[in-house]
Amino acid sequence: MNKYLLNGLYGLLALIGISAFAFKVFQPIQVLPRIRLSPAFDMLDQDWKRLTNEDLRGQMVLYTFTYTNCPVPCHDIDKTMQEIQARLSEADLGETKMSFVTISFDPQNDSPLALRAHAEGLNADPQQWKFVTSPNETLLKTIIGSGFHAYYEKNTDNSFTFDPTFILVDGWGIVRGEYRYQTEVSTVDRILRHISVLADEVQNSTGPQKVAYEAAHLFLCYAP
Amino acid sequence: MYRKVHLATRKSNMNVPVQKYMKTRILLSIFVVVLGLAAGFFFFRPPTLHGTIIQSPEPSFDFMLTGIDGDVSLSDFRGKLVLVYFGYTFCPDICPATLANAGQALRSMSDRQSEDIQLIMISLDPERDTPQKLAEYVAHFHPSFIGITGPEEKLAEVTSLYGIFYEKHPGTAATGYLIDHTATLLVIDREGYLKLVFPFGVTTKEIADDLKYMLRQ
Repeated sequence: MNKYLLNGLYGLLALIGISAFAFKVFQPIQVLPRIRLSPAFDMLDQDWKRLTNEDLRGQMVLYTFTYTNCPVPCHDIDKTMQEIQARLSEADLGETKMSFVTISFDPQNDSPLALRAHAEGLNADPQQWKFVTSPNETLLKTIIGSGFHAYYEKNTDNSFTFDPTFILVDGWGIVRGEYRYQTEVSTVDRILRHISVLADEVQNSTGPQKVAYEAAHLFLCYAP
Repeated sequence: MYRKVHLATRKSNMNVPVQKYMKTRILLSIFVVVLGLAAGFFFFRPPTLHGTIIQSPEPSFDFMLTGIDGDVSLSDFRGKLVLVYFGYTFCPDICPATLANAGQALRSMSDRQSEDIQLIMISLDPERDTPQKLAEYVAHFHPSFIGITGPEEKLAEVTSLYGIFYEKHPGTAATGYLIDHTATLLVIDREGYLKLVFPFGVTTKEIADDLKYMLRQ
């Protein structure tokens, strides 16, 4: 009987190993990494209304960073956001809410009025896509630079040098996706795919299924 | 031909008890494996911590604020698990409830375990919370707790980078102004990386279970 128990134990260890390996290889559940906490902020939107990170709790948010006087190719950022918003129905969001926030790092020129004109020029849905900034430039730099890890720097001619960046944040205020390269069509596809993956996790990672989702995090089953 | 038939018959006769024996053995093995698998899943299942796990690729922001014994920074506690909580001493309910649960969680552990954990409360109310007052306040919950604060600009930076929103609003004549704030309890690991975020309402047992698990890592 001891021999059987030993065989059983070997079998068990082999099965656990094979299961873990199979989970890692086949990735039955994919997730997005929980990268860091999204920074807290308190800003004014294009309608002169306050928008804080707490207002967005419970919904997925895609952030980007720009300034309205930016010449081409800055417009690609807005185009990418427009395309994602237009194709959002491709992602199965279920009950999960989704918002878009463009943060301007040029508060001297981007008053709420200027932001509104910019938003209207893009036909942005004001309920879903907010354009915000803060007059406190030091804090703005902390929020965008250190909090969202999005680089920007003001030039002597008042233009800005910056890296186009999109940040996907979940309803718990955790950064789940960072997209830092030049905007192309593939970026839109990737972001939309990630929004779907995140919405799946939000809707399904409760009760007994939570174990499977935590296993996916443990085995780094990250969506490509 | 005869020989062949004879051998086949003999083999067939011998196989009856052998096949039965093999069948029992296989069934028993399957039973043991299934039982072991169930036990293995129970004992080796992925940790379902009560807090949300963060896989941060970089260390947490290293703040430096002032406590009763002078400047305190996060990096002073490398080698320990650090619980970071943002609140204020006039906080009517949320802060005392969370700090009391954290204090109880530490008391439920062995001395060796609790010595490896440091709770830091960062006051969002530097106007009223002096280092002296903070030290007296946090000691009510656990003697090891530390209370620190700093000027508004510094607090704005620290809170923003830890995802903590806060704002003052009028209270009663008795309480003075109140401060609404994000009420999460953060856990920084021994190497300074944010690892766990507890939501408000986390219980003593949940804190203790998760911290014990993290201490074993």
